[in-house]
Amino acid sequence: MTTVAARPSLAMRLNALTKIVELGPGRLEPKLLAEASTLLTRAGERLKLSSEHTVVALAGGTGSGKSSLFNAVSGLELSPTGVRRPTTARTHACVWGLDGATPLLDWLQIQWRHRFARASALDKGESQLHGLILLDLPDHDSIRALTDNEADRLIGLADLVVWVLDPQKYADASTHRRYVTELAGRDAPTVFALNQADRLTAAELAELVIDLNDLLRREGVEHPSVVPTSAITGRGVDSLKSVLAAAVSRRRAAVQKLEADLHRLEQRVAQTMPADEALSAPSTVDDARRMGLTDALCDAVGVPAVGEAMENIYAERSMSWVGWPYPRWFAKLRPDPLKSLRLDDVADEIRGITDGSVSAQSAEVINAVQALADGLSGGMHPVWRASLNHAARSRAAQVPKALTENLTKVAPHLHHVPAWWRLLKTWQYTLVAAFVTGLVWMGAGLLFPGDAPLGFQLLGDTAALPWVGLMMAAVLGLGALSGIASRNFVELGASRERERLEREMRRRVAAIAETMVVEPVERELGRHHAFYTAMRALAG
Amino acid sequence: MPDEQAASAETSVPTGESSEEEPAHTEPDQDEQDQDDEPAPERDEETPPALADPPEAQAEEAPNGEPDQVEDVQDEDDLDEPDQDEGEQDEGEQDEEDLDGEDPGEPRAAEPSQEEAVEAEQDTPGEAGARPEEPERRGGEGLPPETVAALTAALDTLRASVSEVSFGLDLPGAGEARQAQADLLAQLQDYVLPRVRTNTAPALIVVAGSTGAGKSTLVNSLAEKNVSRTGVRRPTTGVPVLACHPDDRKWFAEGELLGGLRRIDKPSPDAGLDSLIVVPTEKLPQGVALLDTPDIDSVVEEHHEIAQRMLDAADLWVFVTTAARYADAPAWNLLRLAKERGARLAIVLSRVQPRARDVVLKHFVRMLTEYGLGEIDRFVINESKVVDGRLPDNEVTDLRLWLAELSVDEERRAQAVRETLNGVLNSFRTRVPALAKHMELQVAFRGDLRADVDAAYRNALSEIDKAFRTGALIQGEVLARWQDFAGSGDLMRTLQLRKRGRSARQAPERITAFRAALRVGLESVIAASANRAAEEVVARWRHRSPLGVTLAEGLERPSDDLVRHASRAIAAWQEHVAELVRTDGVAKRSVSKLLSFDADSLSLIFMVAMFSGGTVEGVQHRLVTALLGAESLRGIGAKALSDLRARIGMLFDEESMRYVQALDSAGIPDESIATRLYQATYNLEVAR
Repeated sequence: MTTVAARPSLAMRLNALTKIVELGPGRLEPKLLAEASTLLTRAGERLKLSSEHTVVALAGGTGSGKSSLFNAVSGLELSPTGVRRPTTARTHACVWGLDGATPLLDWLQIQWRHRFARASALDKGESQLHGLILLDLPDHDSIRALTDNEADRLIGLADLVVWVLDPQKYADASTHRRYVTELAGRDAPTVFALNQADRLTAAELAELVIDLNDLLRREGVEHPSVVPTSAITGRGVDSLKSVLAAAVSRRRAAVQKLEADLHRLEQRVAQTMPADEALSAPSTVDDARRMGLTDALCDAVGVPAVGEAMENIYAERSMSWVGWPYPRWFAKLRPDPLKSLRLDDVADEIRGITDGSVSAQSAEVINAVQALADGLSGGMHPVWRASLNHAARSRAAQVPKALTENLTKVAPHLHHVPAWWRLLKTWQYTLVAAFVTGLVWMGAGLLFPGDAPLGFQLLGDTAALPWVGLMMAAVLGLGALSGIASRNFVELGASRERERLEREMRRRVAAIAETMVVEPVERELGRHHAFYTAMRALAG
Repeated sequence: MPDEQAASAETSVPTGESSEEEPAHTEPDQDEQDQDDEPAPERDEETPPALADPPEAQAEEAPNGEPDQVEDVQDEDDLDEPDQDEGEQDEGEQDEEDLDGEDPGEPRAAEPSQEEAVEAEQDTPGEAGARPEEPERRGGEGLPPETVAALTAALDTLRASVSEVSFGLDLPGAGEARQAQADLLAQLQDYVLPRVRTNTAPALIVVAGSTGAGKSTLVNSLAEKNVSRTGVRRPTTGVPVLACHPDDRKWFAEGELLGGLRRIDKPSPDAGLDSLIVVPTEKLPQGVALLDTPDIDSVVEEHHEIAQRMLDAADLWVFVTTAARYADAPAWNLLRLAKERGARLAIVLSRVQPRARDVVLKHFVRMLTEYGLGEIDRFVINESKVVDGRLPDNEVTDLRLWLAELSVDEERRAQAVRETLNGVLNSFRTRVPALAKHMELQVAFRGDLRADVDAAYRNALSEIDKAFRTGALIQGEVLARWQDFAGSGDLMRTLQLRKRGRSARQAPERITAFRAALRVGLESVIAASANRAAEEVVARWRHRSPLGVTLAEGLERPSDDLVRHASRAIAAWQEHVAELVRTDGVAKRSVSKLLSFDADSLSLIFMVAMFSGGTVEGVQHRLVTALLGAESLRGIGAKALSDLRARIGMLFDEESMRYVQALDSAGIPDESIATRLYQATYNLEVAR
């Protein structure tokens, strides 16, 4: 774990990878995700195990001389060599400095009988190799390898891979396409040993090394490290040893390998989900969008229409209470078209319709939510767009119901009759009564001029009649005036009520939009942001 | 390897007999050939088993088969005769080989191989001569003209059908199918058609194998001329090189065989991958041409394709591998292919360290036998110093003899050619139907995707219908406007007593708002359904195949025009309904006597009645029923609804056309092609 502390960047990148693996399900390809979590596990395990040891794998095609080179480097005939192809079927390991290596070898799943140790007694001035675990892998390109992924597994686990190439097979697609091109990249710890150099003349060897270097550069290996070796003559084995010793003494190979693996994984994830503009996507729902959503939901409920309807209905209904009663009575005298259609009771039903119920139109609600999601996910990767959509709609189906229920509470009670309406009605009827009284008086005065019965002399007083007439006109005028005035009052009140109602409904709509739409959307936006932040951290 | 052949010669046929019978056979065979022309195809069928038997016996004998010195000498004599007939240089080679064989400096292991090679050469003609079925096999050499014509016609039809195939949809396997189609076409063009037309052409022996296996070196050595560049760089050969006898040059330089390749005389820097270098050399016997191919397994992947194409045109395959490579996976893939195609095959195991020879060979033979290839011709070349791009001559003696023998024994050559051609034609039995199957797959896939689109929009329509029926439309603003309309007294004012004759006091803005609300409501229902349909299509496509994702790109949402079109369609529909109410709904006579009503308003009430669900009898229902009469209401109702459905249907048709266009732009697979392919395969079988 000291390595982790010393290299905070690797720790940070691994944390980023953890985040990506967390957020990955359903968004990343399952295969890539599996690889990411494998890498995460592997990194954790490798960093926990001995950082004193460096695992070096000799990999290569069948017959390239891995086992011979293994034996040459270890100085012992540990791995069987032969002319039959393929020769090595199980991985052999040789350890320089066994202390603490066992868990690492267990982790590598090297069988006990294939483990060898270079005890210090055997070491003749090879202390610089102390901490080296050298693996002799089976080949990766024979027909046997088609059903056996031992080589693949250990190439993945090793800290440093030495590709053993030979003059015949150095340009094989099976090595280059499957491994080198894929493993190439920033400082991937790889060494290329051009084995069987003894088979070539010096000129041929030089030509071949140049060709191999070119080939590797073309494949993206920035600084190919090519070591010509010959397991038979021993040529180049010391150079290879010193390359290995350098890697071992730096104790960086494990970390470097993980860094290279992380880089490669990051590249692949970035390929499927390019990060270019993803981080410029909003991470929260801004006020303008909230407002837009609330507006759209208000439209779905028809808030302005509800307000208008309330105002109109209020005004219409108030007429039967506060209006001048005479036109009403007059209208009743006219033949009712409904009656002629035998629809007399329809008026009550109409009143039933207008019984202030509010509801939301679900199609419009869904469209509003969709518009919000589409507006936010514009520049996103399709996978994220889909998941944002999903988040936005997660509760959208309940929104119409919630809106309906919540807004019905504040819907105007149109049957409610304010007290002052009743008062005014009384007043109007009082005026009507006064008018009728005046009418009676007038009649009495005209019918019985001067000979009114006792106690009603005043009625017979013809001199009072003009005053009575004046009073009747005043009563009529007063009724009309108070009708008009109170209608204006009603309208004023209604429009004030409408404003209040609209404000209140809007507030409630906004609250519902917040909890049922904006919150899940913001959670998803947060995940999106976190994912791409982690991607950037992973890129390092 | 020759050693097995030697063994088989020992066991199966007494050598003396074979040598006697050999010359006797030659003449009558020639005569019979003409007579037997008619039933030729039948006999072809019989030939392969007859051929197959002895090699198996050889394989069994292989491990302990030691060459018999006495027989060697005898056989050699037999063999020399045809060689001498053939030409001077063969004789010369023979001598040279003999000298080399005695060379004490030569590694011990090399010796048997050479002797075996000599045997191999001799015993084969002997074997052929001894076989009782021999005369029947003659028919294979030449086909009667009418058969050739029929076969050519069948192959032409096949080619035409195959070339018509186009796999537009990138389904899994489409790449392979396209490749298979290209391979088929190339093989028909390059090989099968020319081969069927003129089966007397020299045999094309294609040398293929891994990079660095020494293909070019081998060809150079056999041609005794540096026809192909060799070197340590891998891959070395990029342009195929054909080496043949000068007399055969015309055929290869101008013939139809590998007609798609540009012929050039010598390597040049601008020689592309579609070139073929033709080099004449007198050292090669007549009637056989060697083709050096690029590798099958290097990083330069284009090479693999060329090698493949060359092999498709080969009469015989010579597969070269090395002691270091013989277990490589690509090599065995190629061997498997050769086996599948039934191509005549010879294997050269080169770069064998003399000291490892026995072990490697034994192991290799075991692997081959396990693979069912134990009986084919094998040659071993030791690892030796390559001088000037050539192997020491003694290393290739056995191969040279094998070639010479093919050259001399026309019958054997024709047999080999015929066998490979048969193998290729047999392979059409599975390869062409495989193409047809994939074609059917494409057609079916397209059909499925098309059905997905239809289903999604059908669902959308039924969803809308449901919204109409359940009154989901009379919600929100529409409801508020209806309340407004009814509650503010406009509803009552719609109805005017006729006798008054007074113009209606309407509030036009309220009617307009109500109508607009209804329109917006309908629009949003349509938009929501279209949205869901688009998503459903994309989801269904995605579910079917990753290809669906690419096809549906940019189609996750309804088109931008949808809302505009929907709005126009609904406005038109509203007009239409008003018109219906005005004309068809001339109301009940009793009513019209009493009342006049405003058609626009009434049409709105009618719409509310129509959309507010049939179960609850609301005011709107009673009103319209009372005013229009139940019968005419039903008429108008049905008409209005079907008209609306038709309009929405048209909108959705336009939407679904986008998906169909996306499908079409990927190429429309022709269903009839699959049938034609099957037919062509059948015809080919009949023609054979």
